[in-house]
Amino acid sequence: MRRPNRSGSIVNPLRAAFLLLAGIWCVPTLAPGQPADRTPDGNPNLNGIWQAVGSANWNLEGHSAEAGPLANMGALGAIPAGLGIVEGGEIPYQPWALERRLQNKADWLKLDPVVKCYMPGVPRATYMPFPFQIVQTPDHVLIAYEFASASRVIYMDRPDFEHPGDAWMGHSRGRWEGETLVVEVTNHVPDTWFDSAGNFHSESLRVEERYTRNGPNHLMYEATIEDPEVFTRPWKIKLPLYRRLDENMQLLEFKCVEFVEEMMYGHLTRKDEE
Amino acid sequence: MRRSLIAPLAAMLTAVPLTLAAADGGGDGDQSWTPPRTAWGVPDLRGVWDFRTITPLERPAKLGDKQVFEGDEAAEFRVAELGRRDKDRRASDGISAEQDVRNAYNQFWWDYGDELTEDRRTSLIVRPESGRIPALTPKGRERYSAMRAARARPPRTPVDRGVAERCILGFNAGPPYSPSAYNNNVHIFQSPGYAVLLIEMVNDARIVPLDRRGHLPAHIRQWRGDARGRWDGDTLVVESRNFTDKTSFRGSGANMALTERFTRVGPDRVLYEYTVSDPESFKAPWTAVIPMKKTAEPMFEYACHEGNYSMFTMLEGAREGERAGGHETGGDGQ
Repeated sequence: MRRPNRSGSIVNPLRAAFLLLAGIWCVPTLAPGQPADRTPDGNPNLNGIWQAVGSANWNLEGHSAEAGPLANMGALGAIPAGLGIVEGGEIPYQPWALERRLQNKADWLKLDPVVKCYMPGVPRATYMPFPFQIVQTPDHVLIAYEFASASRVIYMDRPDFEHPGDAWMGHSRGRWEGETLVVEVTNHVPDTWFDSAGNFHSESLRVEERYTRNGPNHLMYEATIEDPEVFTRPWKIKLPLYRRLDENMQLLEFKCVEFVEEMMYGHLTRKDEE
Repeated sequence: MRRSLIAPLAAMLTAVPLTLAAADGGGDGDQSWTPPRTAWGVPDLRGVWDFRTITPLERPAKLGDKQVFEGDEAAEFRVAELGRRDKDRRASDGISAEQDVRNAYNQFWWDYGDELTEDRRTSLIVRPESGRIPALTPKGRERYSAMRAARARPPRTPVDRGVAERCILGFNAGPPYSPSAYNNNVHIFQSPGYAVLLIEMVNDARIVPLDRRGHLPAHIRQWRGDARGRWDGDTLVVESRNFTDKTSFRGSGANMALTERFTRVGPDRVLYEYTVSDPESFKAPWTAVIPMKKTAEPMFEYACHEGNYSMFTMLEGAREGERAGGHETGGDGQ
């Protein structure tokens, strides 16, 4: 129950109007550690269009710049350096899995699933070099990604909802822990990768994501990755996400199937036409 | 004592039709029903909405100008329609072997629904009164014929097979949404300033800004167009422009102006109405109305491109046919 106004009197209408207008017009100022502004149902407000910056999509671990696979792309095809976003620097692979990761990296252009416009999976969708939009409702949080029009629904209201199969974007159940949206992501297909450096997982993957507002235009993203078939222990990644402040910002279409058809099916098409 | 029961009973009896009217959601039901609101005060359309129906988009020619089924006609039409669509009929049931092959999947895989719309209309199209898509313009016909010809031959490239089989947009995803073979569900999300229409087929999320911003510049084109929304009373109106010439909804072209209207007409009903206006392609605009039912069932990921083995096999089959000296035949022309 809401407690009555301390003075017990009607709030001064002018003051109320001022507060209302101030609430509408003030740019939210949020220092790290301060609570985020709220959605109408009272949860931390993560609504907006966000994007990662950096080269985690090329390699989660720290890496130097290197030439890309396509010489005719020149500098634009080269892979930028990165400090890495893995806590402790290295992914704790089991020996056999490290071997496999090296094989993956050696042949990544052929093997990396996003090269074929397949859905990137979680957490990779978060740090693809494309924006994504969070839309919160009390029961669901929708994340729509620009890359490949992938999307996923985070169920906030069904902690016991078990997915009957596997999915490229996994199965997401969320809850609030203070200022943080915590999402348990299960039911991954084994086919997605974490980056273009061959970092991979099995179908035993479980990801716990944590989204925390730490500024008016920033989210901190953390993910704990657990897969006892591939790694020796759970490991973590952490990176900031930035609000896209471009005027009239909106997700645009990147339905990449049409861009990969020649690569995937070209050997089966009829060449004498057009 | 007995008399004291009459009033409550009468009240119950009068209440029953009202309740049913609200539940069936036909627009002319309980006029006193008002839609629930979100915490920020707009009509609440959130939830998963099922738009399955066997009511045809266009009125079958044999029904002439009959707009609404009368008497037993609806039940008779339903039985005939379900029989016609039954994919478990074999050659031994009197269909041709060729048709048997074309049916492809067993009935188990199909989910058109098994009911007509509750308003017993003979077509989803309500305007024009013919219940049929207006004639194509010469330009529209040319484009439509080229598309049909490409579909009717063994595919030379994936483009010949159309957007649904290429897994670019779902076969019922339009826009506009159109009841089809299965997964006829759209999950509507709302947050302040936005509505999102997530359709199950190929996971396409149409994010609709409600802040009255203008459309994208005319040269930026999108497969699903560019959606902008506003409230007209309690109705969410979504206007889409900026389509491509690579998709076609029943003959539409890149300059289609699509208006969709979503109205919550009952606790478990949203009335979905769309108008296609495209003078380059159709001789007149046309409008369809599809009642959507709320479902508690969740939607699941439809990973189409990721599992599109049939594109490989269709192309392989076409090339194999050429190597064997075959001519271009086959294709289902759909």
